[in-house]
Amino acid sequence: MRAVIAEDLALLRDGLIRLLTAHDVEVVAAVGDGPSIVGALLDHRPDVAVVDVRLPPTFTNEGLLAAIEARKRLPGLPVVVLSQYVEPLYARELLSDRGGGLGYLLKDRVMDVGTFVESVRRVAAGGTVMDPEVVSQLFEKRARDEQIGRLTPREREVLALVAEGRSNAAVADHLVVSEKAVSKHIANIFLKLDLAPSEDDNRRVMAVLAYLDS
Amino acid sequence: MAVASARRRPRPVTTMNDALGTMPEGPAAWTRRWIARRLFAIGIVIALVLTVVWATTPVAYFWPGWIFFAVLFPSAMTWSVRLALRAKVRRPLAVHAAVSFVISAALVAIWLLSSHRIFWPIWPMLGLVIVFAAHALFAPSGSTWREKALAERVDVLTRSRRGALDVHVAEMRRVERDLHDGAQARLVSLGMSLGMADELLDSDPAGAHRQLAEARRAAGDALADLRALVKGIMPPVLADRGLAGAVYALVVASPLPVEVTMELPAERLPAPVESAAYFAIAEALTNVIKHSGASFAWVVVMQANGVLSMTVGDDGHGGADPGQGSGLRGIQHRLEAFDGTMQLSSPSGGPTVVTMEVPCELSSPKT
Ligand SMILES: Nc1ncnc2c1ncn2[C@@H]1O[C@H](COP(=O)(O)OP(=O)(O)O)[C@@H](O)[C@H]1O
Ligand SMILES: [Mg+2]
Repeated sequence: MRAVIAEDLALLRDGLIRLLTAHDVEVVAAVGDGPSIVGALLDHRPDVAVVDVRLPPTFTNEGLLAAIEARKRLPGLPVVVLSQYVEPLYARELLSDRGGGLGYLLKDRVMDVGTFVESVRRVAAGGTVMDPEVVSQLFEKRARDEQIGRLTPREREVLALVAEGRSNAAVADHLVVSEKAVSKHIANIFLKLDLAPSEDDNRRVMAVLAYLDS
Repeated sequence: MAVASARRRPRPVTTMNDALGTMPEGPAAWTRRWIARRLFAIGIVIALVLTVVWATTPVAYFWPGWIFFAVLFPSAMTWSVRLALRAKVRRPLAVHAAVSFVISAALVAIWLLSSHRIFWPIWPMLGLVIVFAAHALFAPSGSTWREKALAERVDVLTRSRRGALDVHVAEMRRVERDLHDGAQARLVSLGMSLGMADELLDSDPAGAHRQLAEARRAAGDALADLRALVKGIMPPVLADRGLAGAVYALVVASPLPVEVTMELPAERLPAPVESAAYFAIAEALTNVIKHSGASFAWVVVMQANGVLSMTVGDDGHGGADPGQGSGLRGIQHRLEAFDGTMQLSSPSGGPTVVTMEVPCELSSPKT
Protein backbone atom coordinates (compact mmCIF):
# COMPACT_ATOMS: atom_id res chain seq x y z
CA MET A 1 0.00 0.00 0.00
CA ARG A 2 1.31 3.47 -0.91
CA ALA A 3 0.66 6.57 1.21
CA VAL A 4 1.31 10.32 1.03
CA ILE A 5 1.47 12.14 4.33
CA ALA A 6 1.15 15.83 5.15
CA GLU A 7 2.47 16.88 8.55
CA ASP A 8 4.60 19.94 9.33
CA LEU A 9 6.05 18.92 12.69
CA ALA A 10 9.16 16.85 11.99
CA LEU A 11 8.74 14.93 15.25
CA LEU A 12 5.30 13.66 14.27
CA ARG A 13 6.09 13.29 10.59
CA ASP A 14 9.06 11.01 11.28
CA GLY A 15 7.03 9.04 13.81
CA LEU A 16 4.21 8.54 11.33
CA ILE A 17 6.59 7.44 8.59
CA ARG A 18 8.26 4.96 10.92
CA LEU A 19 4.94 3.64 12.17
CA LEU A 20 3.43 3.17 8.71
CA THR A 21 6.61 1.74 7.20
CA ALA A 22 6.80 -0.81 10.03
CA HIS A 23 3.34 -1.97 8.99
CA ASP A 24 4.06 -2.42 5.30
CA VAL A 25 2.72 0.93 4.19
CA GLU A 26 5.10 2.63 1.81
CA VAL A 27 5.27 6.40 2.34
CA VAL A 28 5.91 7.70 -1.17
CA ALA A 29 5.88 11.39 -0.25
CA ALA A 30 5.76 13.53 2.87
CA VAL A 31 4.86 17.21 2.56
CA GLY A 32 4.98 19.89 5.23
CA ASP A 33 2.52 22.55 4.11
CA GLY A 34 -0.99 22.97 2.76
CA PRO A 35 -0.36 24.20 -0.79
CA SER A 36 1.86 21.17 -1.63
CA ILE A 37 -0.76 18.58 -0.73
CA VAL A 38 -2.95 18.55 -3.81
CA GLY A 39 0.06 18.54 -6.13
CA ALA A 40 1.71 15.65 -4.29
CA LEU A 41 -1.52 13.66 -4.43
CA LEU A 42 -1.97 14.31 -8.15
CA ASP A 43 1.64 13.31 -8.78
CA HIS A 44 1.71 10.14 -6.71
CA ARG A 45 -1.89 8.91 -6.80
CA PRO A 46 -1.42 7.04 -3.50
CA ASP A 47 -3.77 4.43 -2.04
CA VAL A 48 -4.30 6.69 0.93
CA ALA A 49 -3.41 10.19 2.13
CA VAL A 50 -2.79 10.97 5.80
CA VAL A 51 -3.26 14.71 6.35
CA ASP A 52 -2.80 16.91 9.42
CA VAL A 53 -5.46 19.63 9.73
CA ARG A 54 -3.22 22.48 10.89
CA LEU A 55 -0.42 23.25 8.47
CA PRO A 56 1.59 26.21 7.21
CA PRO A 57 1.20 28.83 5.86
CA THR A 58 -1.95 29.83 7.79
CA PHE A 59 -1.69 27.29 10.61
CA THR A 60 -5.46 27.04 10.72
CA ASN A 61 -7.43 24.36 8.89
CA GLU A 62 -5.27 24.29 5.79
CA GLY A 63 -5.04 20.48 5.72
CA LEU A 64 -8.79 20.00 6.04
CA LEU A 65 -9.49 22.33 3.12
CA ALA A 66 -6.76 20.67 1.05
CA ALA A 67 -8.25 17.23 1.74
CA ILE A 68 -11.68 18.41 0.60
CA GLU A 69 -10.17 20.03 -2.48
CA ALA A 70 -8.11 16.93 -3.31
CA ARG A 71 -11.22 14.76 -3.17
CA LYS A 72 -12.94 17.09 -5.60
CA ARG A 73 -10.03 16.67 -8.02
CA LEU A 74 -9.62 12.94 -7.41
CA PRO A 75 -13.10 11.67 -6.44
CA GLY A 76 -12.99 8.82 -3.97
CA LEU A 77 -9.34 9.41 -3.05
CA PRO A 78 -9.01 7.82 0.41
CA VAL A 79 -7.98 10.43 3.00
CA VAL A 80 -7.34 10.11 6.73
CA VAL A 81 -7.52 13.54 8.37
CA LEU A 82 -5.66 13.84 11.67
CA SER A 83 -6.00 16.63 14.19
CA GLN A 84 -5.23 17.61 17.78
CA TYR A 85 -8.94 18.22 18.22
CA VAL A 86 -12.08 17.23 16.39
CA GLU A 87 -15.02 19.38 15.45
CA PRO A 88 -18.41 17.96 14.35
CA LEU A 89 -18.65 20.79 11.82
CA TYR A 90 -15.46 19.59 10.12
CA ALA A 91 -16.70 16.00 10.16
CA ARG A 92 -19.83 17.17 8.39
CA GLU A 93 -17.79 19.03 5.77
CA LEU A 94 -15.58 16.02 5.16
CA LEU A 95 -18.52 13.67 4.83
CA SER A 96 -20.54 15.95 2.60
CA ASP A 97 -19.34 14.33 -0.61
CA ARG A 98 -20.64 10.98 0.73
CA GLY A 99 -17.84 9.26 -1.19
CA GLY A 100 -16.49 6.93 1.48
CA GLY A 101 -12.79 6.28 1.87
CA LEU A 102 -12.63 8.84 4.61
CA GLY A 103 -11.21 8.97 8.11
CA TYR A 104 -11.32 11.75 10.69
CA LEU A 105 -9.27 10.97 13.77
CA LEU A 106 -7.66 12.60 16.77
CA LYS A 107 -3.89 12.42 16.67
CA ASP A 108 -4.08 10.62 20.02
CA ARG A 109 -5.25 7.54 18.13
CA VAL A 110 -1.78 6.86 16.72
CA MET A 111 -0.84 5.71 20.24
CA ASP A 112 -2.97 2.62 19.69
CA VAL A 113 -0.79 1.55 16.81
CA GLY A 114 -2.69 -1.58 15.80
CA THR A 115 -6.07 0.13 15.68
CA PHE A 116 -4.63 3.14 13.88
CA VAL A 117 -3.01 1.12 11.11
CA GLU A 118 -6.23 -0.89 10.79
CA SER A 119 -8.16 2.39 10.39
CA VAL A 120 -5.81 3.56 7.65
CA ARG A 121 -6.29 0.25 5.84
CA ARG A 122 -10.07 0.44 6.14
CA VAL A 123 -10.10 3.96 4.72
CA ALA A 124 -7.79 2.88 1.88
CA ALA A 125 -10.32 0.15 1.13
CA GLY A 126 -13.12 2.73 0.83
CA GLY A 127 -14.45 2.57 4.39
CA THR A 128 -15.38 5.41 6.74
CA VAL A 129 -13.68 5.85 10.10
CA MET A 130 -14.98 8.44 12.52
CA ASP A 131 -13.24 9.31 15.77
CA PRO A 132 -15.09 8.14 18.91
CA GLU A 133 -14.80 11.73 20.19
CA VAL A 134 -16.83 13.02 17.23
CA VAL A 135 -19.39 10.29 17.78
CA SER A 136 -19.71 11.07 21.47
CA GLN A 137 -20.18 14.75 20.68
CA LEU A 138 -22.92 13.82 18.23
CA PHE A 139 -24.53 11.67 20.92
CA GLU A 140 -24.45 14.60 23.34
CA LYS A 141 -26.15 16.70 20.73
CA ARG A 142 -28.88 14.06 20.43
CA ALA A 143 -29.18 13.57 24.18
CA ARG A 144 -32.87 14.53 24.16
CA ASP A 145 -33.77 12.61 21.06
CA GLU A 146 -36.86 10.50 21.71
CA GLN A 147 -35.96 7.82 19.19
CA ILE A 148 -32.50 7.37 20.67
CA GLY A 149 -34.16 7.36 24.09
CA ARG A 150 -35.99 4.20 23.03
CA LEU A 151 -32.72 2.33 22.45
CA THR A 152 -31.42 -0.01 25.15
CA PRO A 153 -28.01 0.86 26.63
CA ARG A 154 -26.44 -2.03 24.70
CA GLU A 155 -28.06 -0.83 21.46
CA ARG A 156 -26.68 2.65 22.09
CA GLU A 157 -23.23 1.14 22.49
CA VAL A 158 -23.61 -0.71 19.23
CA LEU A 159 -24.89 2.45 17.51
CA ALA A 160 -21.79 4.38 18.65
CA LEU A 161 -19.46 1.66 17.37
CA VAL A 162 -21.26 1.51 14.04
CA ALA A 163 -21.00 5.31 13.78
CA GLU A 164 -17.25 5.01 14.30
CA GLY A 165 -17.23 2.90 11.15
CA ARG A 166 -16.62 -0.53 12.60
CA SER A 167 -17.71 -3.69 10.84
CA ASN A 168 -20.06 -6.20 12.47
CA ALA A 169 -17.12 -8.43 13.25
CA ALA A 170 -15.21 -5.56 14.89
CA VAL A 171 -18.26 -4.55 16.95
CA ALA A 172 -18.74 -8.16 18.06
CA ASP A 173 -15.07 -8.33 18.98
CA HIS A 174 -15.21 -5.12 20.96
CA LEU A 175 -18.31 -6.05 22.93
CA VAL A 176 -17.30 -9.70 23.26
CA VAL A 177 -20.55 -10.98 21.77
CA SER A 178 -21.36 -13.03 18.70
CA GLU A 179 -21.61 -11.43 15.27
CA LYS A 180 -25.17 -12.73 15.06
CA ALA A 181 -26.10 -10.83 18.22
CA VAL A 182 -24.59 -7.68 16.70
CA SER A 183 -26.62 -8.09 13.49
CA LYS A 184 -29.75 -8.42 15.57
CA HIS A 185 -28.94 -5.27 17.55
CA ILE A 186 -28.26 -3.37 14.36
CA ALA A 187 -31.55 -4.46 12.82
CA ASN A 188 -33.39 -3.29 15.94
CA ILE A 189 -31.56 0.05 15.99
CA PHE A 190 -32.38 0.76 12.35
CA LEU A 191 -35.99 -0.11 13.01
CA LYS A 192 -36.24 2.17 16.03
CA LEU A 193 -34.57 5.07 14.21
CA ASP A 194 -36.64 4.61 11.02
CA LEU A 195 -33.50 4.04 8.96
CA ALA A 196 -33.46 1.90 5.84
CA PRO A 197 -31.43 -1.24 6.58
CA SER A 198 -28.35 -1.73 4.45
CA GLU A 199 -25.85 -4.54 4.06
CA ASP A 200 -23.26 -2.14 2.65
CA ASP A 201 -20.94 -1.12 5.51
CA ASN A 202 -20.19 2.31 4.17
CA ARG A 203 -23.77 3.23 3.41
CA ARG A 204 -24.67 2.08 6.91
CA VAL A 205 -22.11 4.36 8.55
CA MET A 206 -23.27 7.27 6.42
CA ALA A 207 -26.89 6.70 7.36
CA VAL A 208 -26.07 6.54 11.06
CA LEU A 209 -23.82 9.63 11.00
CA ALA A 210 -26.37 11.57 8.98
CA TYR A 211 -29.03 10.63 11.53
CA LEU A 212 -26.87 11.71 14.49
CA ASP A 213 -25.83 14.95 12.82
CA SER A 214 -29.29 16.01 11.66
CA MET B 1 26.01 57.68 15.95
CA ALA B 2 23.20 56.61 13.72
CA VAL B 3 20.61 58.06 16.07
CA ALA B 4 22.40 61.41 16.29
CA SER B 5 22.65 61.82 12.54
CA ALA B 6 19.04 60.74 12.12
CA ARG B 7 18.02 63.43 14.57
CA ARG B 8 20.06 66.07 12.86
CA ARG B 9 18.80 65.37 9.40
CA PRO B 10 15.19 66.66 9.60
CA ARG B 11 16.28 70.22 10.31
CA PRO B 12 17.04 71.44 6.80
CA VAL B 13 13.75 69.93 5.68
CA THR B 14 11.84 72.02 8.21
CA THR B 15 13.65 75.19 7.19
CA MET B 16 12.86 74.54 3.59
CA ASN B 17 9.21 74.04 4.41
CA ASP B 18 9.20 77.36 6.28
CA ALA B 19 10.79 79.10 3.35
CA LEU B 20 8.29 77.56 0.97
CA GLY B 21 5.47 78.57 3.30
CA THR B 22 6.43 82.25 3.53
CA MET B 23 7.57 82.78 -0.02
CA PRO B 24 4.27 83.70 -1.71
CA GLU B 25 3.36 86.30 0.95
CA GLY B 26 5.60 89.14 -0.25
CA PRO B 27 7.33 91.91 1.74
CA ALA B 28 4.19 93.98 2.54
CA ALA B 29 2.50 91.17 4.45
CA TRP B 30 5.75 90.35 6.22
CA THR B 31 6.06 93.97 7.42
CA ARG B 32 2.48 93.92 8.65
CA ARG B 33 3.13 90.79 10.70
CA TRP B 34 6.33 92.24 12.13
CA ILE B 35 4.45 95.34 13.32
CA ALA B 36 1.57 93.28 14.73
CA ARG B 37 3.94 91.17 16.84
CA ARG B 38 5.66 94.25 18.29
CA LEU B 39 2.62 96.45 18.71
CA PHE B 40 2.99 96.61 22.47
CA ALA B 41 6.69 97.57 22.33
CA ILE B 42 6.01 100.18 19.65
CA GLY B 43 3.19 101.65 21.76
CA ILE B 44 5.42 101.88 24.83
CA VAL B 45 8.22 103.51 22.81
CA ILE B 46 5.77 106.10 21.40
CA ALA B 47 4.41 106.79 24.91
CA LEU B 48 7.94 107.24 26.31
CA VAL B 49 8.87 109.60 23.49
CA LEU B 50 5.74 111.64 24.21
CA THR B 51 6.62 111.65 27.93
CA VAL B 52 9.99 113.19 27.06
CA VAL B 53 8.18 115.74 24.88
CA TRP B 54 5.81 116.50 27.80
CA ALA B 55 8.75 116.97 30.17
CA THR B 56 10.25 119.66 27.91
CA THR B 57 6.97 121.62 27.85
CA PRO B 58 5.64 123.72 30.76
CA VAL B 59 2.22 121.92 30.74
CA ALA B 60 1.53 120.51 34.21
CA TYR B 61 -1.21 118.01 33.31
CA PHE B 62 0.36 114.61 32.52
CA TRP B 63 -1.45 114.03 29.25
CA PRO B 64 0.82 111.16 27.96
CA GLY B 65 -0.84 109.08 30.68
CA TRP B 66 -3.70 108.52 28.23
CA ILE B 67 -1.26 107.09 25.68
CA PHE B 68 0.07 104.70 28.35
CA PHE B 69 -3.53 103.82 29.16
CA ALA B 70 -4.36 103.09 25.52
CA VAL B 71 -1.31 100.85 25.17
CA LEU B 72 -1.59 99.02 28.49
CA PHE B 73 -5.33 98.36 28.66
CA PRO B 74 -5.69 95.96 25.67
CA SER B 75 -2.48 94.15 26.58
CA ALA B 76 -3.44 93.73 30.21
CA MET B 77 -6.81 92.38 29.12
CA THR B 78 -5.24 89.88 26.70
CA TRP B 79 -2.65 88.65 29.19
CA SER B 80 -5.01 88.24 32.09
CA VAL B 81 -7.60 86.36 30.03
CA ARG B 82 -4.88 84.10 28.69
CA LEU B 83 -3.69 83.43 32.21
CA ALA B 84 -7.23 82.72 33.39
CA LEU B 85 -7.75 80.23 30.56
CA ARG B 86 -4.95 78.13 32.00
CA ALA B 87 -6.97 77.49 35.17
CA LYS B 88 -7.52 73.79 35.83
CA VAL B 89 -10.89 74.15 37.55
CA ARG B 90 -13.81 76.57 37.11
CA ARG B 91 -12.27 78.15 34.07
CA PRO B 92 -15.24 80.41 33.15
CA LEU B 93 -15.14 81.90 36.65
CA ALA B 94 -11.42 82.57 36.39
CA VAL B 95 -11.95 84.43 33.10
CA HIS B 96 -14.75 86.43 34.69
CA ALA B 97 -12.47 87.39 37.59
CA ALA B 98 -9.65 88.44 35.26
CA VAL B 99 -11.92 90.62 33.10
CA SER B 100 -13.49 92.24 36.15
CA PHE B 101 -10.10 92.97 37.67
CA VAL B 102 -8.69 94.57 34.51
CA ILE B 103 -11.83 96.71 34.07
CA SER B 104 -11.55 97.84 37.70
CA ALA B 105 -7.90 98.70 37.23
CA ALA B 106 -8.81 100.66 34.08
CA LEU B 107 -11.48 102.58 35.98
CA VAL B 108 -9.00 103.50 38.71
CA ALA B 109 -6.51 104.61 36.03
CA ILE B 110 -9.15 106.80 34.39
CA TRP B 111 -9.97 108.26 37.80
CA LEU B 112 -6.30 109.02 38.43
CA LEU B 113 -5.85 110.59 34.99
CA SER B 114 -8.97 112.77 35.24
CA SER B 115 -10.34 114.58 38.30
CA HIS B 116 -8.98 113.40 41.63
CA ARG B 117 -12.05 114.38 43.58
CA ILE B 118 -14.59 111.79 44.70
CA PHE B 119 -13.59 108.16 44.09
CA TRP B 120 -16.45 107.36 41.74
CA PRO B 121 -15.01 104.03 40.41
CA ILE B 122 -16.13 102.46 43.70
CA TRP B 123 -19.68 102.13 42.32
CA PRO B 124 -19.01 100.28 39.06
CA MET B 125 -16.43 98.17 40.95
CA LEU B 126 -19.05 97.22 43.52
CA GLY B 127 -21.35 96.22 40.66
CA LEU B 128 -18.63 94.04 39.17
CA VAL B 129 -18.00 92.34 42.50
CA ILE B 130 -21.72 91.58 42.96
CA VAL B 131 -22.03 90.10 39.47
CA PHE B 132 -18.90 88.02 40.09
CA ALA B 133 -20.22 86.78 43.43
CA ALA B 134 -23.49 85.76 41.78
CA HIS B 135 -21.60 83.89 39.10
CA ALA B 136 -19.43 82.11 41.67
CA LEU B 137 -22.44 81.11 43.77
CA PHE B 138 -24.93 80.02 41.16
CA ALA B 139 -22.80 78.59 38.36
CA PRO B 140 -22.85 74.75 38.32
CA SER B 141 -20.43 73.99 41.11
CA GLY B 142 -16.98 72.84 40.13
CA SER B 143 -17.37 71.29 36.75
CA THR B 144 -19.03 71.71 33.41
CA TRP B 145 -21.11 68.87 31.95
CA ARG B 146 -18.07 67.89 29.93
CA GLU B 147 -15.95 67.52 33.02
CA LYS B 148 -18.74 65.53 34.66
CA ALA B 149 -19.02 63.23 31.64
CA LEU B 150 -15.27 62.69 31.74
CA ALA B 151 -15.33 61.90 35.44
CA GLU B 152 -18.14 59.40 34.88
CA ARG B 153 -16.20 57.82 32.04
CA VAL B 154 -13.14 57.45 34.24
CA ASP B 155 -15.33 55.72 36.84
CA VAL B 156 -16.71 53.30 34.25
CA LEU B 157 -13.26 52.57 32.83
CA THR B 158 -11.79 52.01 36.28
CA ARG B 159 -14.57 49.61 37.14
CA SER B 160 -14.49 47.74 33.84
CA ARG B 161 -10.71 47.50 33.89
CA ARG B 162 -10.81 46.06 37.38
CA GLY B 163 -13.51 43.63 36.23
CA ALA B 164 -11.48 42.62 33.19
CA LEU B 165 -8.36 42.11 35.31
CA ASP B 166 -10.35 40.03 37.79
CA VAL B 167 -11.66 37.87 34.97
CA HIS B 168 -8.15 37.58 33.57
CA VAL B 169 -6.57 36.63 36.89
CA ALA B 170 -9.31 34.12 37.63
CA GLU B 171 -8.77 32.66 34.17
CA MET B 172 -5.01 32.31 34.66
CA ARG B 173 -5.58 30.71 38.06
CA ARG B 174 -7.99 28.23 36.51
CA VAL B 175 -5.50 27.39 33.75
CA GLU B 176 -2.74 26.86 36.32
CA ARG B 177 -4.94 24.63 38.44
CA ASP B 178 -6.20 22.63 35.47
CA LEU B 179 -2.64 22.04 34.26
CA HIS B 180 -1.46 21.12 37.72
CA ASP B 181 -4.24 18.69 38.53
CA GLY B 182 -4.69 17.47 34.98
CA ALA B 183 -2.02 17.15 32.33
CA GLN B 184 0.95 17.53 34.70
CA ALA B 185 -0.30 14.89 37.12
CA ARG B 186 -1.06 12.54 34.25
CA LEU B 187 2.42 12.96 32.79
CA VAL B 188 3.93 12.12 36.18
CA SER B 189 1.78 9.00 36.34
CA LEU B 190 2.79 8.15 32.78
CA GLY B 191 6.45 8.40 33.74
CA MET B 192 5.89 6.16 36.73
CA SER B 193 4.16 3.53 34.62
CA LEU B 194 7.02 3.58 32.13
CA GLY B 195 9.55 3.23 34.94
CA MET B 196 7.70 0.25 36.37
CA ALA B 197 7.34 -1.35 32.95
CA ASP B 198 11.09 -1.00 32.53
CA GLU B 199 11.68 -2.84 35.81
CA LEU B 200 9.19 -5.58 35.03
CA LEU B 201 10.26 -6.14 31.43
CA ASP B 202 12.45 -9.18 32.14
CA SER B 203 10.90 -10.66 35.28
CA ASP B 204 7.19 -10.16 34.50
CA PRO B 205 6.44 -9.38 30.83
CA ALA B 206 2.67 -9.53 31.44
CA GLY B 207 2.97 -6.99 34.23
CA ALA B 208 5.12 -4.79 32.01
CA HIS B 209 2.39 -4.91 29.36
CA ARG B 210 -0.17 -3.78 31.89
CA GLN B 211 2.04 -0.87 32.93
CA LEU B 212 2.55 0.14 29.31
CA ALA B 213 -1.18 0.09 28.68
CA GLU B 214 -1.57 2.23 31.79
CA ALA B 215 1.04 4.67 30.46
CA ARG B 216 -0.76 4.94 27.16
CA ARG B 217 -4.01 5.69 28.94
CA ALA B 218 -2.35 8.41 30.98
CA ALA B 219 -0.94 9.98 27.79
CA GLY B 220 -4.39 9.92 26.19
CA ASP B 221 -5.97 11.49 29.27
CA ALA B 222 -3.29 14.19 29.39
CA LEU B 223 -4.02 15.03 25.75
CA ALA B 224 -7.75 15.16 26.46
CA ASP B 225 -7.14 17.52 29.40
CA LEU B 226 -4.98 19.80 27.30
CA ARG B 227 -7.59 19.80 24.56
CA ALA B 228 -10.32 20.85 26.97
CA LEU B 229 -8.06 23.54 28.39
CA VAL B 230 -7.20 24.99 24.99
CA LYS B 231 -10.85 24.97 24.02
CA GLY B 232 -11.60 27.10 27.06
CA ILE B 233 -8.87 29.63 26.26
CA MET B 234 -8.82 29.84 22.49
CA PRO B 235 -11.11 27.44 20.65
CA PRO B 236 -9.24 26.19 17.56
CA VAL B 237 -12.35 26.52 15.41
CA LEU B 238 -12.40 30.25 16.20
CA ALA B 239 -8.77 30.58 15.13
CA ASP B 240 -9.54 28.56 11.99
CA ARG B 241 -12.79 30.11 10.88
CA GLY B 242 -13.35 33.38 12.69
CA LEU B 243 -16.51 34.35 14.55
CA ALA B 244 -19.02 33.30 11.90
CA GLY B 245 -17.53 29.83 11.47
CA ALA B 246 -17.14 29.30 15.19
CA VAL B 247 -20.73 30.31 15.93
CA TYR B 248 -21.84 27.98 13.19
CA ALA B 249 -19.83 25.17 14.81
CA LEU B 250 -21.60 25.87 18.12
CA VAL B 251 -24.94 25.62 16.39
CA VAL B 252 -24.00 22.39 14.60
CA ALA B 253 -23.15 20.85 17.98
CA SER B 254 -26.25 22.18 19.74
CA PRO B 255 -28.94 19.71 20.81
CA LEU B 256 -31.60 22.38 20.19
CA PRO B 257 -32.59 23.71 16.83
CA VAL B 258 -30.99 27.14 16.57
CA GLU B 259 -31.84 29.69 13.92
CA VAL B 260 -28.77 31.72 13.02
CA THR B 261 -28.63 35.06 11.27
CA MET B 262 -25.17 36.47 10.71
CA GLU B 263 -24.20 39.61 8.89
CA LEU B 264 -20.48 39.83 9.33
CA PRO B 265 -17.85 41.35 7.07
CA ALA B 266 -15.64 38.97 5.11
CA GLU B 267 -12.52 40.13 6.92
CA ARG B 268 -11.75 39.02 10.45
CA LEU B 269 -12.80 41.07 13.46
CA PRO B 270 -10.04 42.18 15.86
CA ALA B 271 -8.94 39.03 17.68
CA PRO B 272 -9.73 40.14 21.27
CA VAL B 273 -13.23 41.28 20.32
CA GLU B 274 -13.79 38.11 18.32
CA SER B 275 -12.83 35.98 21.29
CA ALA B 276 -14.96 37.93 23.79
CA ALA B 277 -17.91 37.77 21.40
CA TYR B 278 -17.48 34.03 20.87
CA PHE B 279 -17.38 33.22 24.57
CA ALA B 280 -20.38 35.48 25.20
CA ILE B 281 -22.47 33.71 22.56
CA ALA B 282 -21.24 30.29 23.71
CA GLU B 283 -22.21 31.03 27.33
CA ALA B 284 -25.63 32.35 26.34
CA LEU B 285 -26.29 29.25 24.20
CA THR B 286 -25.05 26.94 26.96
CA ASN B 287 -27.49 28.65 29.31
CA VAL B 288 -30.33 28.05 26.89
CA ILE B 289 -29.43 24.36 26.75
CA LYS B 290 -28.79 23.98 30.48
CA HIS B 291 -31.42 26.15 32.11
CA SER B 292 -34.20 27.36 29.82
CA GLY B 293 -36.23 24.27 28.97
CA ALA B 294 -36.62 25.84 25.53
CA SER B 295 -37.45 23.94 22.37
CA PHE B 296 -35.94 26.53 20.11
CA ALA B 297 -33.24 29.18 20.18
CA TRP B 298 -32.09 31.91 17.87
CA VAL B 299 -28.86 33.81 17.41
CA VAL B 300 -28.32 37.06 15.54
CA VAL B 301 -24.81 38.43 15.01
CA MET B 302 -24.26 41.66 13.11
CA GLN B 303 -21.50 44.12 12.55
CA ALA B 304 -22.54 47.55 11.36
CA ASN B 305 -21.45 51.15 11.97
CA GLY B 306 -18.55 50.11 14.13
CA VAL B 307 -20.69 48.05 16.50
CA LEU B 308 -20.83 44.29 16.81
CA SER B 309 -24.22 43.29 18.16
CA MET B 310 -25.19 39.82 19.28
CA THR B 311 -28.55 38.54 20.39
CA VAL B 312 -29.33 35.12 21.78
CA GLY B 313 -32.95 34.28 22.48
CA ASP B 314 -34.95 31.22 23.48
CA ASP B 315 -38.58 30.23 23.96
CA GLY B 316 -37.98 28.76 27.42
CA HIS B 317 -39.41 29.55 30.84
CA GLY B 318 -37.28 32.64 31.57
CA GLY B 319 -36.23 33.76 35.02
CA ALA B 320 -32.53 34.10 34.26
CA ASP B 321 -30.68 35.93 37.01
CA PRO B 322 -27.02 36.96 36.79
CA GLY B 323 -26.90 36.89 40.60
CA GLN B 324 -27.52 33.13 40.59
CA GLY B 325 -24.42 32.08 38.74
CA SER B 326 -21.16 33.23 37.25
CA GLY B 327 -21.73 32.87 33.52
CA LEU B 328 -23.79 35.95 32.76
CA ARG B 329 -21.65 38.18 34.99
CA GLY B 330 -18.60 36.75 33.26
CA ILE B 331 -20.02 37.84 29.89
CA GLN B 332 -20.67 41.30 31.25
CA HIS B 333 -17.13 41.72 32.53
CA ARG B 334 -15.59 40.36 29.37
CA LEU B 335 -17.61 42.75 27.23
CA GLU B 336 -17.08 45.76 29.51
CA ALA B 337 -13.36 45.40 28.96
CA PHE B 338 -14.08 46.42 25.36
CA ASP B 339 -16.60 49.08 26.28
CA GLY B 340 -19.36 46.63 25.48
CA THR B 341 -22.66 46.01 27.21
CA MET B 342 -24.95 43.11 28.00
CA GLN B 343 -28.68 43.41 28.55
CA LEU B 344 -30.85 40.63 29.80
CA SER B 345 -34.59 40.34 29.42
CA SER B 346 -35.92 37.22 31.08
CA PRO B 347 -39.35 37.62 32.66
CA SER B 348 -40.66 34.65 34.58
CA GLY B 349 -42.47 32.54 31.98
CA GLY B 350 -40.07 33.61 29.26
CA PRO B 351 -38.88 34.26 26.71
CA THR B 352 -35.24 35.04 27.51
CA VAL B 353 -33.30 37.41 25.29
CA VAL B 354 -29.67 38.36 25.90
CA THR B 355 -28.54 41.38 23.92
CA MET B 356 -24.86 42.19 23.73
CA GLU B 357 -22.99 45.00 22.00
CA VAL B 358 -19.30 45.76 21.53
CA PRO B 359 -17.77 48.67 19.66
CA CYS B 360 -15.72 47.10 16.91
CA GLU B 361 -13.78 48.79 14.16
CA LEU B 362 -12.36 46.39 11.61
CA SER B 363 -8.70 45.69 12.18
CA SER B 364 -7.43 45.52 8.64
CA PRO B 365 -8.87 47.20 5.58
CA LYS B 366 -9.74 44.85 2.79
CA THR B 367 -6.82 44.29 0.47
N1 LIG C 1 -31.76 31.17 29.03
C1 LIG C 1 -32.13 30.99 30.32
N2 LIG C 1 -33.39 30.61 30.64
C2 LIG C 1 -33.75 30.42 31.92
N3 LIG C 1 -32.93 30.61 32.98
C3 LIG C 1 -31.67 30.99 32.74
C4 LIG C 1 -31.20 31.21 31.41
N4 LIG C 1 -29.92 31.60 31.49
C5 LIG C 1 -29.60 31.62 32.79
N5 LIG C 1 -30.64 31.26 33.56
C6 LIG C 1 -30.67 31.21 35.04
O1 LIG C 1 -29.82 32.23 35.53
C7 LIG C 1 -28.81 31.69 36.34
C8 LIG C 1 -27.51 32.41 36.10
O2 LIG C 1 -26.96 32.04 34.86
P1 LIG C 1 -25.39 32.10 34.67
O3 LIG C 1 -24.92 33.42 35.17
O4 LIG C 1 -25.06 31.75 33.27
O5 LIG C 1 -24.83 31.00 35.67
P2 LIG C 1 -24.64 29.42 35.50
O6 LIG C 1 -25.01 29.05 34.10
O7 LIG C 1 -23.19 29.23 35.80
O8 LIG C 1 -25.54 28.81 36.51
C9 LIG C 1 -28.74 30.22 36.03
O9 LIG C 1 -28.37 29.48 37.15
C10 LIG C 1 -30.15 29.90 35.58
O10 LIG C 1 -30.94 29.55 36.69
MG1 LIG D 1 -24.30 29.83 32.50
